[in-house]
Amino acid sequence: MNEDEDLELQALQRRLDDAFQTTRPRTGFEDELWSKMQARRPVWSRVSEFFSGLIGSIREAPAVPAAAVAVVLVVALGIGIIARSGIHVGGGPSSSSSEFTSTSLGASRNAGSFGRLPLPAAVSVPPKTANPPYDAAAPSSAGSYAGLVNLAWAGQLPVNLANAPVYRYTEPSAADADQFAASIGASGRSGSYAGSGFVLGVSGTIPALAREPSYTLTPDRSTLPPPGPTPVDTADAFLAAHSLVPAWPYTVTTANAADVVRVLYLRQFDLPGGGRAYLVDRTGEPYGIEVDLRNGQPLQALGPMPLYLDVAVYPIISGDQAVRAALGTSPNRSAPNVPTVRLTNVELAYALAIAGDHSFYEPVFVFSGTFTQNGVAYLKRVIVPAVGP
Amino acid sequence: MLADRPPFEDLYRDFLGRIYAYVRAQVTSAADAEDITAQVFMNAYQAYGRFEARNTTPAAWLFRIARNATLDHFRAHGRRERLRRTIEHQPVSEHDPAGMAEERIQYRALLAHVARLPERQRDAISLRHSGLSFEEVGVLMSCTEDAAKMLYHRALKALRESAREEMA
Repeated sequence: MNEDEDLELQALQRRLDDAFQTTRPRTGFEDELWSKMQARRPVWSRVSEFFSGLIGSIREAPAVPAAAVAVVLVVALGIGIIARSGIHVGGGPSSSSSEFTSTSLGASRNAGSFGRLPLPAAVSVPPKTANPPYDAAAPSSAGSYAGLVNLAWAGQLPVNLANAPVYRYTEPSAADADQFAASIGASGRSGSYAGSGFVLGVSGTIPALAREPSYTLTPDRSTLPPPGPTPVDTADAFLAAHSLVPAWPYTVTTANAADVVRVLYLRQFDLPGGGRAYLVDRTGEPYGIEVDLRNGQPLQALGPMPLYLDVAVYPIISGDQAVRAALGTSPNRSAPNVPTVRLTNVELAYALAIAGDHSFYEPVFVFSGTFTQNGVAYLKRVIVPAVGP
Repeated sequence: MLADRPPFEDLYRDFLGRIYAYVRAQVTSAADAEDITAQVFMNAYQAYGRFEARNTTPAAWLFRIARNATLDHFRAHGRRERLRRTIEHQPVSEHDPAGMAEERIQYRALLAHVARLPERQRDAISLRHSGLSFEEVGVLMSCTEDAAKMLYHRALKALRESAREEMA
C-alpha cells in the first residue's frame, strides 16, 4: 500500500468514527423506549428494584447518573430544533394546586412533616474536580454541553418567601395503574392497556430520567375527529375526549419539530401569596403534558399520571443564601478555557425529588444567564434547592 | 444484583446511542433502526438477570443481541427488497422528517455505503467503529482476532472503492 492510499484509508476511518459517533436516535427516543420498557414490567417490581439504592440518597447525591444530575446546563439559543413560541396563560380549571391534593395549604402548617427531604435530581452541584477544561469529556449533544463555567451574580434578588409547600406522592401500585387506565376507558394490565381507538402505556417513577409516573396515549389515527382550528384546540379536544385535561394549573405553549407540532401544558404549583411556580425538569425546562400533532392530528400524548398529593409546608432559604448556593456550584477560580457567566435572573420553581416509595415535588431556585462563547450565544441555568439543609 | 454487574440503567444510557448507530448503519432506515434498537434493549432488559460479567463485556453482550436482532429483521423482512435497493442504489424512503433533521446529513451517505457492503464486511466495519476491540469483533463474528482485522481492512478498502465509484 502506498503512502497516499494509507492516508486515504486513515481519513476514511476518521470519517467512519465521526459518522458512528454522531449518529444517534432522534430526541425523545431514549425517554420513549425507557418508558416502554418500564411499562412492560409490573410497577411493584420497579419500586422494589430501585428502593434499596434510592433510600440511601436522602440528602446525598441522588441515585441518578452524575451527568444527569447536576451538570451545569448550557443550552444554545437558536440552535435547537424545537422553536418555542406563543406562550399564553391557558389557566387550569382549578385555582388550587391540584384537585388531587389531599391537604389544603391552609390546613397544613406542620412544617417539615415529611421529615428530611431528598435532593431534587435537577439540582446543580459543585464540581468535584478542579477546573478541567470545560469541554473535556463533557457529553454534548446538539445545542448543549455539560461543561464548567465560572459564575457571577448580577441580578435582582428573588422575592423572599418564608415558606413554600412541598408535595409528596406515593409510588402507584399496579392496581393504581389499572384504575387510572379504567378511568379513561382502557383495559389491560401491567402498564399496557387498550381502549376504543387508542393504546395506553403507564410507567412508574423512572429515576434514571427523573420522571414521575407517566402515561403515553397513542390514538388510532384512522378514528380521529377532524382537527380543530388551531393545534391547541385540537390538543384540548383530544385530552378532553380521553378525560386527561390537567387538574393542576398550567400554561400552554407550542413547539415545532419538522412537521410535528407539540402542544405543551406546562405544570404549575401554587405559591403562598397567590403566585405560581413551574415544574421544571433536570435541565430547568418547564414541563407537563405533551400532545404531539402531525398534519393537525394527534400522534401521541405524554403526561404525568394523576396522583394524590400530600402537602407540607417547609421554610425556604433567603435570596442571599440562594445566590451563594448558586455561585457555589462554579469552580470559583478562573481558567483560560472556562467562560464566566453573569446570572441575571432567578425564579422559584418545582422539581422532582425521587426517594423510593415516596417522591416529592420540591421548591427550587432556577438561576439563569446568557453568555457568548466562540460567537455562539448560550443560556446557562443553575438549579439550587429552596428548602434549607 | 451481583456486585460485578452494573445497573441496567447505566448500560442503557451508555450504549443506546452506540447500538442505534450500529443498527442504523445496517438498515439505512431510521424507523427500522429505532424498531430494532428498541427490540435489542427489550431483549437485553429481560435477559439481564442471566448476564455474567465474568464471561463477556457488557459491550460484547449487547452488540451480540443487536447483531442477532438485525439478522432477525432481515430474515423477517426478506433480503429481496434489500438487495433490490442495493442494486438500484435507491435510498430508503424516510417517514420521519424530524429524525432526518436531527441526523448529520454529511455522514448519512457514508453509512449508506456501509449498509451496501457484503454482510460480514458491513458487520466488521460497524462493530469496529462502534467501539469494539478486534478481539470482541472476532468473538462476535466467530473468527480469530487476526481474521477480524483482515476482514475489517478488506471492508475498509471495499468501502473506499464504493465511495469512489459514486463520486465518479
